[in-house]
Amino acid sequence: MSIPAWILDIFAAVMLLVAAVSAGQLVVARAWTRAGARDADIALSHLLMGIAMAGTLVASLSTLPNAAWEVIFAVMTAWFAWYLWRETRGQGAGALVSGHHAPHLLHSAAMLYMFAALAGPAAGGGSGMAGLATGSSGGMQTLHAPTLALVFALLLIAYSVRDVDRKACADGYFHVVGRHFTPAGPALATAVAGVTGQGGPAGLAGGGDSAVATMLQPEAAEVSSGDLVTSPVNASPPERLLLCPAVVKGCRVAMGVTMAFMLLIMI
Amino acid sequence: MSDTVAGRSRAAARDRLDAAGASAAGLDVRRALQLGLAAIWLLDGVLQYQSFMFTKAFGQMLAATSPGNPGIVSSPIDWNATLIEHHMVLLNAIFATVQLLLGLGIAYRPTVRLALAASIVWALGVWWFGEGLGGVLSGVADPVNGAPGAAIIYALLAVLLWPSDRPVPSGAPAPFVAAHAVGAQVARALWLGLWGSLAYFALTPANRAPQALHDMIAGMESGEPGWLAALDKHSAALVANQGLAASIVLAIALAIVAVGVYLPAPVAKATLVLALVVAGVIWVVGEAFGTILTGGGTDPNSGPLLALLALAYWPLAAAAKPRADRSLADDRPEGITA
Repeated sequence: MSIPAWILDIFAAVMLLVAAVSAGQLVVARAWTRAGARDADIALSHLLMGIAMAGTLVASLSTLPNAAWEVIFAVMTAWFAWYLWRETRGQGAGALVSGHHAPHLLHSAAMLYMFAALAGPAAGGGSGMAGLATGSSGGMQTLHAPTLALVFALLLIAYSVRDVDRKACADGYFHVVGRHFTPAGPALATAVAGVTGQGGPAGLAGGGDSAVATMLQPEAAEVSSGDLVTSPVNASPPERLLLCPAVVKGCRVAMGVTMAFMLLIMI
Repeated sequence: MSDTVAGRSRAAARDRLDAAGASAAGLDVRRALQLGLAAIWLLDGVLQYQSFMFTKAFGQMLAATSPGNPGIVSSPIDWNATLIEHHMVLLNAIFATVQLLLGLGIAYRPTVRLALAASIVWALGVWWFGEGLGGVLSGVADPVNGAPGAAIIYALLAVLLWPSDRPVPSGAPAPFVAAHAVGAQVARALWLGLWGSLAYFALTPANRAPQALHDMIAGMESGEPGWLAALDKHSAALVANQGLAASIVLAIALAIVAVGVYLPAPVAKATLVLALVVAGVIWVVGEAFGTILTGGGTDPNSGPLLALLALAYWPLAAAAKPRADRSLADDRPEGITA
């Protein structure tokens, strides 16, 4: 017996939800405009990964052939690797762990590996997913180089745990959100100073508490910040929900855990 | 006189600062270790969703831990295994989800206490119903293959990484992270008990038989990737017919680790490095990464947990310094300052 279909369905549903949220973020942030394009690549990558993973988990949700996904995720991996390389020039090797694009590079590379390493249905009914883009054959899929799958899974779990631990919006977690709720750097300092009535937040260097303070008083932050595009005060509740840092964070954690799940059950 | 008082004040202030620094550093390290524990629970949860766990083989695997245990221990194991075989889909899905939530709960700061407390209860249940108390009572416990049961180490870690600080009358900082919650003496005693028991298990008749270690390692080859199978094969060949000698060497190493936390910081660090090396060798060679790469591993086994535990006993830098200063200061007559 393989994994019950309803469990795969649940994971696929979560991935579709992540994809829908990402699509909503792109729309709300007006990603097609110059002002809204910043970090749209991240939301777009989440959208594509959500669709790809849902199709991998449940055959009936499959949209593109595996080869197409390989190309897409190869481009995405190269894209984030380029950005991460630029970050390492500014921040040093630490960016490889804590850089803004590091987790997205990991997600893209894991997806690329997953599609590139897919083997045929296992003969003996070992681990794997019945609905793994095999159409109606119902065959089990496994991965070549399973050690790499374990390495990717461990890294994904490590990043997911780190994401859960971090306060939403800490260190510019997601700039599409950040533009609405958490102005970075000097703007944040000014904004929180406006909230607290002091010269600046004591915990500004750490970022976490300040970010929370700003989240609690978003209108004060945007009044003080010159580069905010959209007003959260004027945003509709669905827009605010879509751009809520906790939702963005939850999407990334859900994606990381689901990806680790897929890699491990295909070993 | 005033110089003496001022010197005392400065020394006291310095001690307070050192203590505060050590405490802050200790808390940061503790959070990092909590996240390590969270990651392992999360990994457990994901592994529990593997297709193997939804087969009758999973129930049979649990039932296999029952033989050799006293009736009062084995009967509940048999009952649990039968129950799981009858309701395997529902129960295994619940097991996996619980472990997933434990990992996420420990990682999420507002729920860390609740999740750690729940993890203790869960781990003890798994230790009994899923691991047969690690074979401790049935005589099959083997330190190279997960004794005294990975689950009990999860519970131990949850206790030692509990987010509270036991007040110390002297105001001295905790010498290592594990001492924060239960105090240094209790933490050291727990360490001694765990690693001392491992040393004992290494010398039991079942484990010191000439081919015992060889057979155990060779048995891990099946289903592993080529490189790991080759590593196991060569390691097994290395200890062929050397069961007694290998057991004695292992027991000595484990005993040194066990008493290491009672030794001065530099020596303690050396024994903790030894503990990390032993944990690494056990995890790779003896446990084959918890057989995760075969698609049948329910958890990464004891190796990573032992390593995490060793890190929780690593002497805190800021804690060692004032203690050394204090030992020097204690030798001086009252009123004399540096």
